[in-house]
Amino acid sequence: MTLSPYRPRTFSLEDAAHLLRRAAFGATAALTREFAALGPQKAVERLLNFDTTELPDNPFDPAEGVNGGAAVRLAQMRWLHELMYSPHPLREKLALTWSNHFVIGVDKVRQAGMLKGYMRVLREHGLSKFERLTLEVSKTPAMLLYLDNNQNKKGKPNENFSRELLELFTTGIGHYTEEDVKEGARAFTGWAFRGLLGLNNPAQTAVPEFVFQSNQHDRGRKTYLGQSGNLTGEDVIRIATHHPATADFVGRKLWRAFVSDTPSDAGVRELVQLWNDTDGDLRAILTALLTSETFYAPENRHAIIKSPVEYVVGTVRALGQPKLKDEKRYTQVVQQMAKMGQALLGPPTVEGWKGGRDWISDTALLTRMQTAASFALGSTLSKDVKAADLPLALLGRERAPFEAALRGLGVPQQAYLTLISPEYALA
Amino acid sequence: MQRRDFLKLSALALSVTSGMPGFLARAATVAGGDKILVVIQLTGGNDGLNTLVPFSNSAYYAARPTIAIPKKDVLNLTADLGMHPALRPLSKLWDDGELAWIESVGYPNPNRSHFASMAIWHTADPTQAQREGWIGRIAEKIGDPFCASNLDRQPVKALRTDTMILPTIDDLDTFALTLPKGVEDAYAALLNIKRDGEVAFVEKAVRQMAQNTAKVQANIKKYKAGVTYPQGRFPEQLKDIARLIASGTGQRVLYTSLGGFDTHAGQRAEQDELLTVLANSLVAFRADLEAQGLADKVVVMAFSEFGRRVAENDSAGTDHGQGGVMFTLGKAVKGGVHGESPDLENLADGDVRYKQDFRGVYAEALDKWLGLSSADILGGKFGGPAWIAG
Repeated sequence: MTLSPYRPRTFSLEDAAHLLRRAAFGATAALTREFAALGPQKAVERLLNFDTTELPDNPFDPAEGVNGGAAVRLAQMRWLHELMYSPHPLREKLALTWSNHFVIGVDKVRQAGMLKGYMRVLREHGLSKFERLTLEVSKTPAMLLYLDNNQNKKGKPNENFSRELLELFTTGIGHYTEEDVKEGARAFTGWAFRGLLGLNNPAQTAVPEFVFQSNQHDRGRKTYLGQSGNLTGEDVIRIATHHPATADFVGRKLWRAFVSDTPSDAGVRELVQLWNDTDGDLRAILTALLTSETFYAPENRHAIIKSPVEYVVGTVRALGQPKLKDEKRYTQVVQQMAKMGQALLGPPTVEGWKGGRDWISDTALLTRMQTAASFALGSTLSKDVKAADLPLALLGRERAPFEAALRGLGVPQQAYLTLISPEYALA
Repeated sequence: MQRRDFLKLSALALSVTSGMPGFLARAATVAGGDKILVVIQLTGGNDGLNTLVPFSNSAYYAARPTIAIPKKDVLNLTADLGMHPALRPLSKLWDDGELAWIESVGYPNPNRSHFASMAIWHTADPTQAQREGWIGRIAEKIGDPFCASNLDRQPVKALRTDTMILPTIDDLDTFALTLPKGVEDAYAALLNIKRDGEVAFVEKAVRQMAQNTAKVQANIKKYKAGVTYPQGRFPEQLKDIARLIASGTGQRVLYTSLGGFDTHAGQRAEQDELLTVLANSLVAFRADLEAQGLADKVVVMAFSEFGRRVAENDSAGTDHGQGGVMFTLGKAVKGGVHGESPDLENLADGDVRYKQDFRGVYAEALDKWLGLSSADILGGKFGGPAWIAG
């Protein structure tokens, strides 16, 4: 039974480190020891027990941006701050995962209020029922704008959102027809938002709100994925999220984000079963995944190539959350992540980042080395970081496999070389 | 870079390549040939009908009351077809017979998904059974991962292979491996432990990167800018391509992308802007190659994953379609319009029907330009227009 609970005789330091690397970007040796004492169930409970409040001392507010570009940069910096310092790393990891599923992009969405509203939904509903999460994201002005659903009007359909809802957000390709896409678009007519002012308007901080324009809605009969009636957008989301293919398609994404890049068919079958039993309850699904035998199986450890955000945020968390010097440094880190291929809130296309081996390129590797140097060799590295703790904090192992190569070097050099080792590239 | 530093890096590159498979060792000797193909991906589904405009066709204007290119603005090429006005910078190339348009290009059972469709163009496999990209297979054939490079931030599937890691270069100026003083030996030792599984893949990528950067940095200074390029990311990428070619680093295929063609709303403004960037950048690139004395060695081939629906939507944009246009340019290109124009009275579900399999267009580049067997790389024989001259 692949998803049966993990019940080791002792929950080892390396077990705890594995969980923290996957669900919390990584942690110091001290925090890893705390988690090892909890055991697998309680450790996951502690990670899942989060609220949605952002840090009171987060210095960045997109609403202070003087134009769209500044709002975008501030939104990215604000998120980076939460990723690095929030006491709820799993909340942020989930937001990151869902932002790569329900994709919007700051190439098009450049308004502070929209970006805030979108982030809020990802944080609040990351562990809701999947239908609820889908519905809430679909109604964000960010999504309405990004996939042109605000332009979708009675008798004047725009298919963009309707198509991606099926292809990328729910069933995946091969489970619907062009007719379903068209009928879905009709059901979404009338979905819009109000409150958007000009992008360069100082009052752009207003958070636009979803609005249903009933005079623009096509009330006619539609047939969608085999169901007919005077379907609304809500009906279509209910039907698409409950389609049998959706549990498999979305379940695989969660598996790839948390367990391994190559989900096993048997594992996914169990996940689909659980999805059906709980009506797509994401909290139940994530709990099961993170406490399973499979999650801790040797072949699934050190097996996922870290994304740039995981690489950077993991480094900060494993090194004891050193503070970044100033605003410029935040900008630099956001840019470095972009250069490694992951601009926060800016996936290359609506399909999002594919991940896995796509994260590895010459440019990405070089940028990882520069980033590692800036954290390990500059003034960022805390004096409290001890050489003896580096393997557990950075590699999730009690001893580095290349221990001999590091002999005689100072702590910063050891930290740097560990950060640029092939081992550190994997979570 | 100081010469002393470079020697250190070369030493690292050498020390870390000691365990390389044989194919890398023999790579330089078999790469061969000096003809270069530059592939340009127009990401998002470029609207072919508003790129190569059928201005004599009333069905075109009927389907697009808002976004059609007015007849008076079209740059006439033939009695029926003309270019989008933003492509004016390319007119001279057309007049010189160095610009070829290939019409109604697509593939069987077309798929309106950006991603599935792009994957088909990347793998040259409409069944999507192939994991490797078509350019990746060129690298396998030649036996050299450095024979093709992608100038962009993120890797593309076209350059993927199961056994090699082809370079993705974001910015040539920073494409250099620099280690702080005193850790070179430790890093070489760290890389030299035995590894299996995914971590071995990363190690191999690091070793390959060390080789690639050393090779580029050893050569790159040979380039002297021949022209001023427009500002922006895409022209910078083309400039880096020109620099690599002028430096004689030996790549046979260079790849880059221009994104933003997913014009569901307000298409005119968006596509006009993109085509302007495209045309201005290509003209600068071409002039630079001229200045380097390399214009006869390079052919450009541009594609997009699909064209767009014939009828405009009510957001003054277009939704995803099927067949589209490709273009190629270069001194070796046989200029003109190749292929059959879309029949706007006979559509497939509202879309242009494809009449030319894209693999036939690739095949011409492979067989006639790069001197490689297209049948080997594409997994079969595909016919297409003879767009390479001679």
